[in-house]
Amino acid sequence: MTTAVVVALLVATGTWLVLRRGLLRVVVGFVLLGHGVNLLVLTAGGTDRRGFALPGQQGQGPVADPLPQAFVLTAVVIAFAVTVHLLGLLRQGQALDEDDDAEGPA
Amino acid sequence: MSALVLVPVVVPLVAAALLLLRRRRPGADALDRAAGVGVPLLVVVAAAVLLAATLEGRTAGAAAGGWPDGVAIALVADATACLGVLLTSALTAASLVVAAGTREDHEPLLVPLVLVMSAGVSGALLTTDLFNLFVFVEVMLVPSYVLVALGRRGPAGGRLYVTVNLLASTVFLAGVGLVYGTTGTVSLAELRGAAAADPAAAVAVGVVLVALAVKSAAVPLHSWLPGSYGAVGPAVAVLFSGLLTKVGVLALLRVWAVVFEGDARVAWALLAVAVLTMVVGVLSAVGEGSVRAVLTNHMVSQIGYLLVGVGLATAAGYAAALFFLVQYAVVKAALLAVSAAVEVREGTDALGRLGGLGRAEPLLAVAFAVAALGLVGVPPTSGFVAKLQLATAAADSGSWWVLAAVVAVSLVTLVSMLKLWNGVFAGSRPEAAGAGGAVTGTGRVPRAVLVPALALAVCALVLGVWAEPLLVASEAAAAQLVAGSRS
Amino acid sequence: MVAALVLLAALAAGAPLLARRLGRATGYVLSAGFLAAAGLLVALAPRVLGGGAVEASTPWLPSLGVEAALRLDGLSLVFALVALVVGALVMAYCARYLSDASARGPVLPLLTVFAAAMVGLVLADDLVLLYLFWELTTLCSFALLSSAGAKAVAPARRALVITIAGGLALLVAVVLLALAGGTTRISVLLAEPEVVLGSPLAWPVAACVLLAAMSKSAQLPLQFWLPGAMVAMTPVSAYLHAATMVKAGIYLLVRASALFAEQTPWQVALVAVGMATALVGAVMALREHDLKGILAHSTVSQLGLLVAAIGVGTPTALGAALLHTMAHALFKATLFMLVGIIDKETGSRDIRDLSGLRRAMPWTAAATALAALSMAGVPPALGFVSKEYLYQGFVSAPGPAWVAPAAAACAVTASALTFAYSMRIVWGAFGGPDHPELYEPAKSFLAPAAVAAAAGLLLGPAVSLFDPLVDAATSAALPGSVPPRIYFWHGLSTEVVLSGVTVALGSALFWQRDRVDAVLVRLRLPDAGGVFDAGHSGLLALGGRVGAGTRARPLGAHLARPLAVVAVLGVVGAVALGGALPERTATAVPGEPVLLVVLAVALACAAVTSSAVVLVALVGLVGLVVAVRMVLVGAADVALTLLLVEVLTAVVLVLVLRGGGLHLPPVVRPAGRGALPAVLPAALLAVGAGTAAGLGTWALTGRRELSPTGAYLLDNAEELTGGTNVVNTVLVDFRGLDTLLESVLVGVVALGLGVLTRGPGREVRERPDVVLRVASRVLAPLAVLASVVLLWRGHDQPGGGFIGALVAGAGVVLVHLAGTGGGEGAGGTGRAVRLERLTDPVLLAGAGALVAVGTGLVPLVWGGALMEPFSVPGLYALGISSALLFDLGVYALVVSLVAACVRGFGRVPSAVPAAAPAAAPGAEHAEVVR
Repeated sequence: MTTAVVVALLVATGTWLVLRRGLLRVVVGFVLLGHGVNLLVLTAGGTDRRGFALPGQQGQGPVADPLPQAFVLTAVVIAFAVTVHLLGLLRQGQALDEDDDAEGPA
Repeated sequence: MSALVLVPVVVPLVAAALLLLRRRRPGADALDRAAGVGVPLLVVVAAAVLLAATLEGRTAGAAAGGWPDGVAIALVADATACLGVLLTSALTAASLVVAAGTREDHEPLLVPLVLVMSAGVSGALLTTDLFNLFVFVEVMLVPSYVLVALGRRGPAGGRLYVTVNLLASTVFLAGVGLVYGTTGTVSLAELRGAAAADPAAAVAVGVVLVALAVKSAAVPLHSWLPGSYGAVGPAVAVLFSGLLTKVGVLALLRVWAVVFEGDARVAWALLAVAVLTMVVGVLSAVGEGSVRAVLTNHMVSQIGYLLVGVGLATAAGYAAALFFLVQYAVVKAALLAVSAAVEVREGTDALGRLGGLGRAEPLLAVAFAVAALGLVGVPPTSGFVAKLQLATAAADSGSWWVLAAVVAVSLVTLVSMLKLWNGVFAGSRPEAAGAGGAVTGTGRVPRAVLVPALALAVCALVLGVWAEPLLVASEAAAAQLVAGSRS
Repeated sequence: MVAALVLLAALAAGAPLLARRLGRATGYVLSAGFLAAAGLLVALAPRVLGGGAVEASTPWLPSLGVEAALRLDGLSLVFALVALVVGALVMAYCARYLSDASARGPVLPLLTVFAAAMVGLVLADDLVLLYLFWELTTLCSFALLSSAGAKAVAPARRALVITIAGGLALLVAVVLLALAGGTTRISVLLAEPEVVLGSPLAWPVAACVLLAAMSKSAQLPLQFWLPGAMVAMTPVSAYLHAATMVKAGIYLLVRASALFAEQTPWQVALVAVGMATALVGAVMALREHDLKGILAHSTVSQLGLLVAAIGVGTPTALGAALLHTMAHALFKATLFMLVGIIDKETGSRDIRDLSGLRRAMPWTAAATALAALSMAGVPPALGFVSKEYLYQGFVSAPGPAWVAPAAAACAVTASALTFAYSMRIVWGAFGGPDHPELYEPAKSFLAPAAVAAAAGLLLGPAVSLFDPLVDAATSAALPGSVPPRIYFWHGLSTEVVLSGVTVALGSALFWQRDRVDAVLVRLRLPDAGGVFDAGHSGLLALGGRVGAGTRARPLGAHLARPLAVVAVLGVVGAVALGGALPERTATAVPGEPVLLVVLAVALACAAVTSSAVVLVALVGLVGLVVAVRMVLVGAADVALTLLLVEVLTAVVLVLVLRGGGLHLPPVVRPAGRGALPAVLPAALLAVGAGTAAGLGTWALTGRRELSPTGAYLLDNAEELTGGTNVVNTVLVDFRGLDTLLESVLVGVVALGLGVLTRGPGREVRERPDVVLRVASRVLAPLAVLASVVLLWRGHDQPGGGFIGALVAGAGVVLVHLAGTGGGEGAGGTGRAVRLERLTDPVLLAGAGALVAVGTGLVPLVWGGALMEPFSVPGLYALGISSALLFDLGVYALVVSLVAACVRGFGRVPSAVPAAAPAAAPGAEHAEVVR
């Protein structure tokens, strides 16, 4: 239940920031959205299974589903890459000394 | 055979890596150009061979890692995938030829990026795993982000493009997670019919469909397309038009056909979206004032036609959608190639500053006329056969309002094409052209741009008169989608 | 039959070549060709005139059930002959009308293509083929109209849009007919009308057919495009817009009569539209002063009469319509050609200027008079005979008693008006003062028109020659009916009386022409053309407003849409699923409430802060919380990766902030009263999206047992791959393809950063902190070492390619921040330059991609699958497996990204004056990032 609230909070704040002015806020908003979605994917594996999928960890209860973890790991790296690209766009905008850099083309 | 399935993904990647590793001076480069055109053509050949093999209903597959079904990521070439790969690779080659004409390929990174993009496109069309689809779509999109940055029209277009697609990807990921959470699998083969069996799964897949709808530029999620596509160089616009939204629509078609299996309770929603897309797209196009803007807004409208075929949810509807997709990609690429030629020659594509090109460049005018007729759907072009097929499928299903929309939108498409014709080719050049500012063109149309434009226009004619092979292929592919003979 | 079409196609293709050699004399060659084609068809006449038909077909689009089928019966023979014979005359006329230069232009080929299309249209026996030729004629017309230059733009647009709209109606009719009748073969459909009539689609089909015919044949209210089309050159007007293209609609209606002729709504519609058109057209013709305009409106009027006759639907009426079609084609084409001659000679087409031609150009005047008399319906011209038959048809119209007299009265009125304007033309030719400067045109120029005019006179008495043809045509149109007999003199019948009345009325109108003109000038008729243009502009304006959404500048406007759709989907999902959810298996995670509180506070602050530094710090905090949460659910590798990514993101953010403002624009635009409403939609959307996400998490996850795939992986990972870190085995072995692709993606972003950060910039030459320098000297190599260890042991313990590379990346960042690397110039240059070359992003990306893909491809050599794990025995002993090699490639790619970040963001952009936005950074320097 609390997981759902956590996800909801992250997504809500992420959405709020994404709709604001200023590309930096947009980027941060996407980071938060990404966190929310990552948590969502992780819980798809079921939060009642919490053991590490590593040697020497038996006896900790059921082991967590490795598949969503792999998904999230991939997604985190991809999101990082795209975030870096967005920040590059921000840098490009700085060079052009724009007013509101969260604007699309004219 | 399974090695052939890997060719569209692996060969471009390797070629891109090799191109990056060598020392290259900026400017025109023969090896780059050869690789840029040769590799996609190689993929075309492989796809053609695969298509011939799959038309009877068989499929060719390659499971990555050799793991058992359900665990391994499987790339499967059925007729739909082969058609898609063939089309996209051919258009990739064509757009790189145009890039030689517009000098966009003087940028050393262009060809490697385009090759990676084409690998992503092919993979997205071939994969049967939803998460892998997510990753392949990202592989397709991220090079395009860089290509937009290369467009040199400022970061604004790039911002729009990247943020909207990032949002769509985030939603996609959430959808995949929800699908896994409700069904325990992300393999399409195992998800067949899941929507009917489990409403929760239907909602989860619905989220995925929303993400794909953004990438396909369906209304109301289409607003990013004209602004983004207007920010790239002309040859890259040709490339984008042939690849990006096609993947979105084909992926949407596949997920819809497999998971929902044409559920009537949801199909009406898809049809409504399709009709709305058709209408809004064409109206937006008619009101624009530059060649590229009109054409990119039209893309939204044509995607509406595709979605109509998908939404009809019958084998006839899918076949119509597939045929339409192939011929429309060719026609749109031809139109954008003509637009590229105009931009190079005149330095601008604003309708108010152009005119009288019909007399100066008769071949270009012919290419435009044929392609425009293909877009409107006038015989004997391929667009006509596609519209006929679509109209027949709609009438067969009894969707009269869809039929009416198809016809009405064609008429407005004609009006917008007339606007372009009158603005660019007919009449005469307005006198104030030179006073507008520093826009100057080269004064001539490079052959590297004219030849693809003409060739694509001729293709549209050929596909119209000799449409039977493609009709057969699309019907076979549609039958496969419905019956689910994916092994 | 096929030969005739092929001949025409060959002529069209060969015309440009001929024109280059022969100049305008090509017209004669083409004329002969047309006659030859007509001859080919006439040769088939014997089989057709008896009521039979000649057929030929070949499959075209079997998947859609479409064949390329041709069929020559009486009806198609009539129209084909009209098209070809009139075409021959017009071609001969062109040989003298055109200059050599324009003969080499597109006019002649287009006219030939048009003729082929017209013949194809009437010969087509397949609905789709018919449609194809129909639209082809429209296209030819547009092309020919456009060749008239700039003044033709608006008329061409009107013509094209109206006729294509009609064409689209025809397309709908074709689709519906095929659906109703089960086939696209016209002859099959017409042979069994009950099949179509019995279907509920019959009326939409009829309506669409009527619409198509109305647009093509310029019926009210769609008639306004035809007068506008008179800007085209005279041969085009003569051929297309008088004789042939506009007759296509007539042909369609006659064909459809086999289906609908006895249906009352059809009859009523056609008669009403036709008569209205006939009357309005005649009035407009009388009002006109431009000769071509008179003829255009006259065509409209005559077509109206034809439509009305078809509407009556009796064999007599249909036969009359066919006869009048032929007569009209003849006299109208002749008149146009003569008007063209007069225009060339006098330079004017105004009828008021036309006078006294008889002395200067007697033959021309005579021909004009003959043709005009035929139009007026004066015996013994052909026009008289056909009009008689029309009257006969109207008088014998079926239905209630008032129909026949009403129809006849309308016809008489229209014909009287026709007589009046025809007389004006004759008067213009003969009466009034002379123009001594005029001269008779060359015989060859006049010949075609003269021949046609004479034919119109002679064919009147000889009209019984047409009897077999009209018979066959009428039988084809209305199978099983008794066709009328065609002969010249009927004796003193009703029709003759009506003709007499017509002449009388018409003469009266002509005598009093001044008064008539005065009345007509005050008549205000609606300007349909203006309505069209207004509609067109309105459409464009509407488009502009609809497209405004895509032109919105703020990103938020575009981003809000997908979020809104997701929120809506959440609502829909909640409603649809209601309570039908399986049991919740997930249990609460210990420690989560604490995290929740911390998170809530951090997020709330992040949402409202205006300081960039605070924002970045809060993001870091949130990331930490999320990472902890992940550890709590057993995701060790993920948490580690996330932490490292967070650190790197924070570093990049700091580097970015160095170049720009540390203060963000305020969260909420300070606008007093306007503030709340502006913010409300975004806030609502945020709440909606968040709720949807939360609901999705709660409802759609955590309600099932471990998936089969997950169980399989957990049970078999160590055995199948040799690794005990199951997540890592999934990444590099089981789903290695995903990892390969994401690594490639990372490399692409590295390349992209090079592009984005091209252009002028300066290094930040801060004095490096001594402590930082020393620390970096020690820590950086340690970081690299740690990264290698992590890479090595990733398969069995937490670690792996990503984590290792991110740690190495941290080392690279440290080195940069300390200022001991990357572009400092003097002091430590050797190492710095080597470091720089080693961490060249393009090189690393390419090499890494090659290693990773290569490792995946190796198994293919021995027939294995892509990315299958393998082990080289010797290397395996050293602990080097394919997974490690693959991870190495991944490592290189991720390092390339970090290196690109450092290089790209490490430089601060120098302020570029906001002069030319088109000169974006890096416009002309192709500064390859190497």
